[in-house]
Amino acid sequence: MRLSDLISETFHSLTSNKVRSGLTILGIVVGIASVIAMLGIGAGAQKSIEDSVQAAGSNILTIMPSSPGGGGGFRSSASSVQSLTSEDAAALAELPLVSGAAPEAQGAGQIVTKSENANASIIGATPAYQTVKGLTVKWGTFLSDRNNKTSAQVIVLGSTLAEDLFGTDVDPTGQQIRSGSMLLTIVGVLEEKGTSGFTNVDSSAIIPLTTLQRYVTGSEYLSTITITVTDEAQMTAAEDSVTALLLSRHGISDSTQADFRIMNMADLLSSITTITGTFTALLAAIAGISLLVGGIGIMNMMLTTVTERTREIGLRKAIGADDNVISMQFLAESVVLTLLGGAIGIALGWVIAVVVANLLSMSAVVSLDAILLAAGVCAFIGVVFGYYPARRAAAMSPIEALRYQ
Amino acid sequence: MANAVIEAHDLHKVYDGAGAETHALRGVSLTIDEGEFSAIMGPSGSGKSTLMHILGCLDTPTSGTYRLAGRDVAELDLHELAEVRRQTVGFVFQAFNLLPRASVMRNVIMPMLYTRVSPDERDDRAAAALRAVSLDEKLWTHKSNELSGGQMQRVAIARSLVNDPSLILADEPTGNLDTATGDSVMDLFRTLNAEGRTIVLITHEPVIASQAHRVIRLQDGLIVEDATSANADIRQYQGGEA
Ligand SMILES: Nc1ncnc2c1ncn2[C@@H]1O[C@H](COP(=O)(O)OP(=O)(O)OP(=O)(O)O)[C@@H](O)[C@H]1O
Ligand SMILES: [Mg+2]
Repeated sequence: MRLSDLISETFHSLTSNKVRSGLTILGIVVGIASVIAMLGIGAGAQKSIEDSVQAAGSNILTIMPSSPGGGGGFRSSASSVQSLTSEDAAALAELPLVSGAAPEAQGAGQIVTKSENANASIIGATPAYQTVKGLTVKWGTFLSDRNNKTSAQVIVLGSTLAEDLFGTDVDPTGQQIRSGSMLLTIVGVLEEKGTSGFTNVDSSAIIPLTTLQRYVTGSEYLSTITITVTDEAQMTAAEDSVTALLLSRHGISDSTQADFRIMNMADLLSSITTITGTFTALLAAIAGISLLVGGIGIMNMMLTTVTERTREIGLRKAIGADDNVISMQFLAESVVLTLLGGAIGIALGWVIAVVVANLLSMSAVVSLDAILLAAGVCAFIGVVFGYYPARRAAAMSPIEALRYQ
Repeated sequence: MANAVIEAHDLHKVYDGAGAETHALRGVSLTIDEGEFSAIMGPSGSGKSTLMHILGCLDTPTSGTYRLAGRDVAELDLHELAEVRRQTVGFVFQAFNLLPRASVMRNVIMPMLYTRVSPDERDDRAAAALRAVSLDEKLWTHKSNELSGGQMQRVAIARSLVNDPSLILADEPTGNLDTATGDSVMDLFRTLNAEGRTIVLITHEPVIASQAHRVIRLQDGLIVEDATSANADIRQYQGGEA
């Protein structure tokens, strides 16, 4: 059989059975698209969480108050235990392995301008906060030591908060805003940073720590001390020296009774990876089921036409077609269907992954592995079951195949 | 003395259907020479189609030997069998067996797809065959499942001719045709026979059988009469399928 005849016979066979061809392609599309979309969204979610943890920096230790006797994990909340003070932070900053210590307290409140108002988390911080968090100032300046000494009523706005209150590309420094009893002068606006660690600085407002303690929380205690370590290789040693210092400052001899806990980003990353890994495994399981459903769809479609196709093969054999040529014709049909379905499925899966990821404000990660897996399985099923009638009928006499039902 | 095209010896065919076995052929021996024009008659279910399928290498006998053009069919491999069906035998099925969703033209061209005939020549040959069976040219592009029984029958005959076979086996080729069209098909067969082709056809109609040189009568899987058409008692089969 000539190649041109093979192509035209394949084309005719597929177009003269549009329903059969369409449903087979549909099965392949569903199988491939669902796997690619699921895995793409799962991997995207995992990556966006990991990115935000990594953006916080890997030489960072976060110290939080914790109820004594607790192990690791994310249990107690900062508000329930009060154990960390600014003096602790100052002492920690003196440790040899520590390059910076930023004490931080958190409050929330309404921020009111002449025309707008917004709810924001208000962070009380010292100048160290800027370096430790790696923040850059877009307009104006960050908080100064002097601001803290005098409990000045000044404020630095995160980028999105500034936009919400004053609009895009408007420099609001020098203006005054109200929050509770405070009348705060805007001294600076930050560049966009993105979520890093636990806090989203972009939608927060930062005021001097002492100001927050005096006018908002009315307490001298901190919610967090963030420490940068001079050398990433010395994280464990730094953690040990921080623990020793804080235990002795708090007069605790038994380390299991510590009233604080330390988290490093590596630990955080690994526990988050475990969680997102489970999530991805779940999506993969759903994808696997879709693949199975798609596969069974393809199989069903192919098998329901076996009778009709077996008769056709009987006829072709009767008029003198060689088994090899018939097999080739069927293989060509299967390959065309799987290629078509595969291409549409990959494109559709990709689009779904991107669209859904966009809705969840992250980016999809469509991996070659996912594409190969999905396309491989569907192509295998498509070709095997497309080819099956030909192989089967090859063993029959033309008359048997013509009478097959 | 002419060469024997068909030499069948003691052919048996047993179908094992659900539960009951059917003994469709019970020892058929038959020799047909090159250039003969034979008609097979016999009541319904007597094994005519079964015999034709075996003679056309479309099915295998349960036992017995069959030599086609001197070659023992049992010894041919799959490719040689395919080649015999493609080049040597032209088969017209009782049930036509056209590809339903393909056009008349495609159906007739199909046997040539598996040969080396060039596309242009394929079209010419298909057109010639369709004209030979006097199928209206308007119908050539119709799908085969849009045709009447008689039209399908003529397409099936045209398809059997395109590869220029030396042996034509036709299972009731005029069964669905009116007398006039049936006559023109018989004229065609006579012409083909005059060109030297061997023709075997199955028929229930004495008028048709009388146009063959030889009449073979089958009953219950056995040949009960084998005579020249002049001598055969054809009329006794008129409506004779009880
Ligand atoms: N595939 C099959 N399976 C089982 N039995 C079969 C099969 N094909 C034919 N038979 C049986 O074999 C016998 C002979 O059938 P065959 O088709 O050869 O008859 P026929 O002489 O061509 O009849 P008709 O004139 O009606 O076409 C019948 O009894 C039929 O039932
Ligand atoms: Mg019959």
